[in-house]
Amino acid sequence: MRKVLFYIPLSLFLLLTLFLLSGLFSDPRERDSAVINKPLPAFALADLMQPEHIWTPEKLAGEVFLLNVWGTWCPTCNAELAYLAELRAQGVKIVGLYYELPRDPTFDAPFDLATLQQDVTQKLAQQGDPYQFNILDLQRTLSLDLGVSGAPETFIIDANGIVRAHHIGDINPMVWRGKLAAVYQQWSKP
Amino acid sequence: MIVEAGQLALTFAFALSVLLALVPLYGSYRASQPLLLMAKPLAIAQFVSCLLAMLALIYAFRSSDFTVINVAQNSSSTLPWYYQITASFGSHEGSMLLWVLMLAGWTALVAIFSKALPLLLQGRILAILGLINAGFIAFSLFMSNPFARSLPFFPVEGRDLNPLLQDFGMILHPPTLYMGYVGFAVAFAFAIAALMGGRFDSVWARWVRPWALAAWLFLTLGIMLGSWWAYNELGWGGWWFWDPVENASFMPWLAGTALIHSLAVTEKRGTFKSWTVLLALAAFALSLVGAFLVRSGVLVSVHSFATDPGRGLYLLVFLLLVIGGSLLLYGSRMHAVRSQARYKLFSREMLLWGNNIFLLTACFIVFLGTLFPLFHKELGLGSVSIGAPFFDQMFYYLSIPFALLLGLGPWVRWKQQQLSPLLSPLALVAVAALVLALGVMATLQSVQANLALMGLLLGAWVGMSALAEVMQRARQLGSVKQGLGKLNASHYGMTLAHIGFAVLVIGVAMTKTYTEERDVRMQAGDSVQLAGYQFTLTEVYPLNGANYGGQAAELDVSKDGHYVTHLHAEKRFYRIQRTIMTEAAVHARLSRDLYVSLGEELPGNAWALRIQVKPFVRWIWLGGLLMTAGALLSLLDKRYRRKQLAGAAQAGEQYA
Amino acid sequence: MKAIITVLMLFCAALSAEEMLQFRSDAERQLFHQLTAELRCPQCQNQNIADSNAIVAVDMRQKTYELVRQGQDRQQVLDYMINRYGDFVHYQPPLNRYTVWLWLTPVLLLLLLLGIGVYRRASQQANANTAADDGSDSAELDKLIARYRSKKP
Repeated sequence: MRKVLFYIPLSLFLLLTLFLLSGLFSDPRERDSAVINKPLPAFALADLMQPEHIWTPEKLAGEVFLLNVWGTWCPTCNAELAYLAELRAQGVKIVGLYYELPRDPTFDAPFDLATLQQDVTQKLAQQGDPYQFNILDLQRTLSLDLGVSGAPETFIIDANGIVRAHHIGDINPMVWRGKLAAVYQQWSKP
Repeated sequence: MIVEAGQLALTFAFALSVLLALVPLYGSYRASQPLLLMAKPLAIAQFVSCLLAMLALIYAFRSSDFTVINVAQNSSSTLPWYYQITASFGSHEGSMLLWVLMLAGWTALVAIFSKALPLLLQGRILAILGLINAGFIAFSLFMSNPFARSLPFFPVEGRDLNPLLQDFGMILHPPTLYMGYVGFAVAFAFAIAALMGGRFDSVWARWVRPWALAAWLFLTLGIMLGSWWAYNELGWGGWWFWDPVENASFMPWLAGTALIHSLAVTEKRGTFKSWTVLLALAAFALSLVGAFLVRSGVLVSVHSFATDPGRGLYLLVFLLLVIGGSLLLYGSRMHAVRSQARYKLFSREMLLWGNNIFLLTACFIVFLGTLFPLFHKELGLGSVSIGAPFFDQMFYYLSIPFALLLGLGPWVRWKQQQLSPLLSPLALVAVAALVLALGVMATLQSVQANLALMGLLLGAWVGMSALAEVMQRARQLGSVKQGLGKLNASHYGMTLAHIGFAVLVIGVAMTKTYTEERDVRMQAGDSVQLAGYQFTLTEVYPLNGANYGGQAAELDVSKDGHYVTHLHAEKRFYRIQRTIMTEAAVHARLSRDLYVSLGEELPGNAWALRIQVKPFVRWIWLGGLLMTAGALLSLLDKRYRRKQLAGAAQAGEQYA
Repeated sequence: MKAIITVLMLFCAALSAEEMLQFRSDAERQLFHQLTAELRCPQCQNQNIADSNAIVAVDMRQKTYELVRQGQDRQQVLDYMINRYGDFVHYQPPLNRYTVWLWLTPVLLLLLLLGIGVYRRASQQANANTAADDGSDSAELDKLIARYRSKKP
C-alpha cells in the first residue's frame, strides 16, 4: 500500500501529459459561440448601397443564408471573397455585414458613405462579389449582439432567422466542406 | 563566419553534454575514478562552448547580420546597441540559447564548487545536468536554431525588436528569471543522484540547500523584475496579471519556497525526506512545464513565443522522459526511505509542514487556474477563462492562515515547544500589530474593515514578529548586543525574507484598496485633482527617437499649492514594427507612486490621459528585494562554505 | 507643426479637465473599473477589456459604460456580455458541477496534506523503537562516513 502511494505523483503527471498532448493539437484561441440556436437579435440597419433601405430580422427571414462579417480594410476578408463568390455561384445566399472601423481623429478622415461605397464596389469588382447585398454596421452594434470579435466571421441563419452556425476566421474550401456545408444543407431542406 | 563558429560551438556543446551525460554515469557503474573525474572538465568545456555560441549570436546582432533569420526578425540597424544585445535573447530561439547557457553555467558551478562532495555523487549530479542540457541543446540546434541563415535571400533591414522588450527591465529580467528556472535543475539533479544512491540524510540536505537557495534567489529577483517591467512598460499601472506566462514562473517559485523550508527540516532533523525530494523534483518539473506552456502554444498568453506544434511535441516528449523518468525513479526508490525523527504536534517541524501545505496548495491553485481552461476544453465542455477574480479570491483566503503561521514559525523550537513562554511576547506582537495597522489607517483617514486592514494586520504581525524573535534569540545568547553578533547569517536571512513577505503583503493590499484612477480629456493648461494631487498638463509635443516617433506630454504636479514634481509621459510609435507603446511617467515614493500614461489624441487639441495614484505600490517590489536579500544573506552563512564540509570531503575521497 | 502645443492658456486660470467617461458616483465608477478588469477581450491574446485597445474591446468597454450608466448591476452587465460572447468572456467561470472542482480540489488537497502531517506524526509517536534521536550533525556525519566506507566496491 505504502509503495503504491509513491507512484501517485507519476500517475498524476502522466494524466497531465495526456491533456497537454491533446492541447497541442487544438487551437487555444478557438472559443464556442454563445449565439447558436438563438434568433437573430433585433436590429434596424441601413443597406450599404441603398441607405434608405432599412434591414430588420423580419425582412431577412424566409430562406437560409450566410451572414458574412467583413470589411475592405481586412486582408483576410478580401482573401476569402473569391471563394465566397464561388459559393454564391453554387446557389448559396450570402449577405454581407459590413464591419466599419472606428475612426481616429488624428489619422483618419471622417466617415463618408460615398467613399466607402466606392471602396466596396471597387474591391468587389476586383476580388469577386459574393453578396446579395450588404448591411452597414457603422457602430458595430449588431456585431456586438452577435458576439463578433473581429472580421472575418460567418453565421448561418436559417429560414426562421435562427443562428445555426458561427464560424470565427476565414472560409476556405476546407472549412466549408468540413464544418459549414453540412449545417447549411441541414437547414436549407424544406 | 563567426555565426558559423557559433553554430559549431553549439554543436560541440551538444557533443560535450552527451559525453557529460554518459561518461560519469558509466563511471559510476564501473566505479571507475578516471571516468568520474572526467565530469568536471566536461562540464566546464560545455559551459565554454555555450558561452562562445551566445557570444557569436550577440556578435551577429551587434553587427546587424540580417542574413541570420533570428537577427532579421528581432533586431534592426537603428536599434540602440544595448537593445541589440538583449534582442539576442528576445526571441524564442535566442532565449532557448540563453536557457542552455544558464544551465551549462550552473553545471560548471556545481563542478567547481563540489570538491566536498563524494566523487560518485558529484559524477552522477553532473551527468544528470548534462543529460538535461543535452535535451535542451538538441532542441536549440535541431528545432529552433538561433543561427539559421536565410541565404541566398535576406532583407536589407531587420524587423526590429518588439517594442515591449525595449526597456531596461528587459535587460535584466530574462537572464535572472532563467537563472532561477534552470537553477532548480541542480536541486533536481541532487535529488535524482540521491535516489540512485538511495541515501538521504542531513548531509545531503545541507549540500542541496545553498543550491536551492541560490536558484530561489534568482527566481525571486527575476519575477520581481518582470513585474516591475510590466508596470513600467505596459502603461496601465498593473504589476501582476495572472497570465499563463507569469503563472509559469510563479509555480516553481512556490514549490521552490516550500523546498527551501522543507530542506531546513531535512537538514536539521533528518525527516520529511520523501517530501523534500518530491519538492526538489517538483520545483524543476514545474519550471519545465512552464517552459512547455510558454513555448508550445497550448495556452493563450500575452507574451508567449511564436509557436509550432513540432516544438511543442518535442518538449512534451522531453518532459515525459525527464519528469516521468524522475517520478518513476521516485516511486520505485523512495518508499524504502523512512524518517526517524520524533516531534510533538506543537513544534517547528509541524509549523514548517504547515508552511509547506499552504505553499503547495497555492502552487496547485495556480496550476489548476492556469490549466483548467485547457482541461475544460479538451473534455469537450467548452471554453472558459480564469483570471484575476479567481486567483485573487483564492490567494486572499490562503494568505490569512499562511501569514498567521509565518509570524509564529520562527519562535517555535524543534521537536517540541511549550506554549506558555511564547504567549506573552506573541500577545505583545499581536497587540502592536493591531495598533500599527489601525494607526496607519487612521492617518489615511479610512478606518474600515477591508483588504487594506487585513493586509496591514497580517503584514505587521509577520514583520514585527520576525523582528521581535531576533531580539528574543539575541537576548537568550547573552546581552542583546552580544547576541545579535552571535546569531548566524542564515537566521538574519530568514528574518529579512519574512519581513520582505510582510512588506509585499502590505504593498499588495494597500495598492489594491487605495489606488485611484481617472481617465481624463486634457488640453494644455488643464488640470485635474486626484487623491490630493493636482496634475496640470503643460504641453504635448512630437517625439523623435532613434527608431520611434510619437508624442510626449509634460505635466506639473502639485499638492496643496506646493510643487511636487514634473512628469514626462510618452506615447511612442515604433516605425518598423508599427506598434504604439505607452511610456508611462512614474514618480515614485515609498508611500505612493504617481503614474500618468498618455493616450490618444482627441478632437480639439486635447489628449486622453490616464492618471493614477497608487499608494505603497513600491512595497511590492521592495518586498521582493528584501526576500532576495534574505536569500543572499543565508547563502553567505559560513556553514555552507567548503571548510565546514571537510568531513564529508574526506568521506568522499576515501570512498573514491 | 500642428501638433506642437504651447502653453496658450498662461493667462487663464488652470482649467479643469473633464473625465473621459462621466459617472454619477464613485460606486458607479468603481463598478465600471471592476467590470472592465474582469471581462476578457475575445480577440486579444489574453487581456481584459480595460487594457486592450482592440476594436471589440473598445466597443465592449463602451457598452459596459452604457449599461452601468443605465443603472445595471454587476451581474446584469456580466450576463449581457456572456449572452453574446460566452463564458469565455468572463475571467471567472460560472459555478457548475464541472467547475466546482476548481474550488473544491484545492480545499481537498489542503485537508489531505494536513491529514498526512498529523498522521505521520502520530505514527512516529506510536513507533516506540526509533533510532537515537540526538539530531546532532556530527553523529549524522559519522554515520555517513561509516556507510560510505562499508559500501566501498
